[in-house]
Amino acid sequence: MTSTIRSAEGYQRPDYATAAAGTARRTGGAGQLHSFLRTTAVSAAGLAVFFAAWELAALQLPSSRLVSPQATLADLIRNFVFAPRLQVFGLGRVGYGSLLLYTVRNTVLGLVAGGFVGILLGLTSARLRLLRIFVDPLVLVLGTVPVLVAAPLFLLWFGVVPFTQVLLVAFYSAVMLTLFSQRAAENLDPLYERWATTFGAGLDVRIRNVLLPGTLPEILGGIRITLASAWGLETFAEILGAPSGIGQAIKALTNMNNVSGLLACVALVAISAILTDLLLLAVAGRIMRWA
Amino acid sequence: MTTPVISVRHLTQTFTRTDGGRVLALDDVSLDIPAGEFACILGRSGHGKTTLLNAIAGLLPVGEGDIRALDRPVTGPGTDRGVIFQKDAVFPWMRVEDNVAFGLKVRGIDRTGRMRIAREHLASVGLEAVSRAWPRELSGGMRARVAIAAVFANDPPILLADEPFGALDYVTRRQLQAVLRELWQRTGKTVLFVTHDVEEALLLGTRVIVVSHGAIAEDRAVDLPVPRTDDDLATPQGLALKHLLLHHMGLE
Repeated sequence: MTSTIRSAEGYQRPDYATAAAGTARRTGGAGQLHSFLRTTAVSAAGLAVFFAAWELAALQLPSSRLVSPQATLADLIRNFVFAPRLQVFGLGRVGYGSLLLYTVRNTVLGLVAGGFVGILLGLTSARLRLLRIFVDPLVLVLGTVPVLVAAPLFLLWFGVVPFTQVLLVAFYSAVMLTLFSQRAAENLDPLYERWATTFGAGLDVRIRNVLLPGTLPEILGGIRITLASAWGLETFAEILGAPSGIGQAIKALTNMNNVSGLLACVALVAISAILTDLLLLAVAGRIMRWA
Repeated sequence: MTTPVISVRHLTQTFTRTDGGRVLALDDVSLDIPAGEFACILGRSGHGKTTLLNAIAGLLPVGEGDIRALDRPVTGPGTDRGVIFQKDAVFPWMRVEDNVAFGLKVRGIDRTGRMRIAREHLASVGLEAVSRAWPRELSGGMRARVAIAAVFANDPPILLADEPFGALDYVTRRQLQAVLRELWQRTGKTVLFVTHDVEEALLLGTRVIVVSHGAIAEDRAVDLPVPRTDDDLATPQGLALKHLLLHHMGLE
């Protein structure tokens, strides 16, 4: 069935574009279920292969090198609320859960702060030539500073406080998202901004109403890549020196040669990364209903 | 004599190509457009008509010469000159009514007021039923209507249109020509309409200015009834004008 749209001239004409979308929606119930089941099955197969390989490898190797997925899960559950062995390393009465919360908080804070600065700087510098000339060399120089150098420096400058890790994540997130945003702004059809200027829109209005929403689909890709890197940065910064965090647990468990604990912590970070990415996609899907 | 709404004096625009060559897009163009006129700029592709329109819109820095709109020098885009582009410029990330209300939002009109105005203008182009739709859900012709409604909602005294219906099919183009003509008659705005279609120029314009090789080759009043039908174009007067324009277009 083709939908019709009444025109100004009073006749109804078929609107094939809308009709096509409507057909997709109508067949969506069964189609979406089929697609979901297929995706889930493929994902489950991938995970099954991964866990089978892990299990097989654990059977071949001594438990001091690798433990099975079940043993890892058991360690995770046992130590989630309270991990007594971590007390020895001065982490207090903590479990993996509370340490993970510290890591999640810092990662998200760093990404939000760095993202705000990076996106704003990227979009603005993409349109202000002088700012671009000023920003580009800075971003290139700062972006090439290895994290192995920046992290100890930040630790020396700001001390063993949460701010140090947040700043490290924010710093690299800002650099990455400046570049992603600049590229996104360059790829946006200039016609939209030209049209906005004919309505009297200045740069601030154009950034808010044209550049930001128009580049969001492309910037989102950058945010996802930055978020994935942010987990690694935060954990690394915590290993180097932090009052809490899953990185501190990893450091302590490495010293104890506790393989099951180490794998449990890595699994927790991986699960957190996947969940935040899914959350980000859900929020983005809501914001970008127009796309 | 009353001051023209648009005044162009000795406008010369040149561009430098990437290979270093110079292109003379407009060569000493002068014209006056009085209030309420529907002037069609007709010409072949690459002969300077869009350059002329963009210069008047303030989207191009003026080379040599002087452009005035409402007796003020044109130094950039302004709310006194609404523009409809050939390419679809409707913001895909705004709902139809928000697109139409965008100019009003920029001007600081409160949401209730701008939505009322937006819906009135959507009704005037026959799109009141899709005010909450996303542009991707509309056809090309409907998006062109949104663009027209957005510009008219902002109420600029001058409307500049750069082949706005060029990419549309014949039927949709004729419908939109009727919509634009009706809005022009109702509002009395001054319209500068770029087209390469002789028939479109004759159907809409009260005056046709032919631009050829960056200069004005012809400037004629169209003394035919308004609104105009195909029969009006088939009169001896209409046909004579059509042949003259076709000649300038290099087709006769």
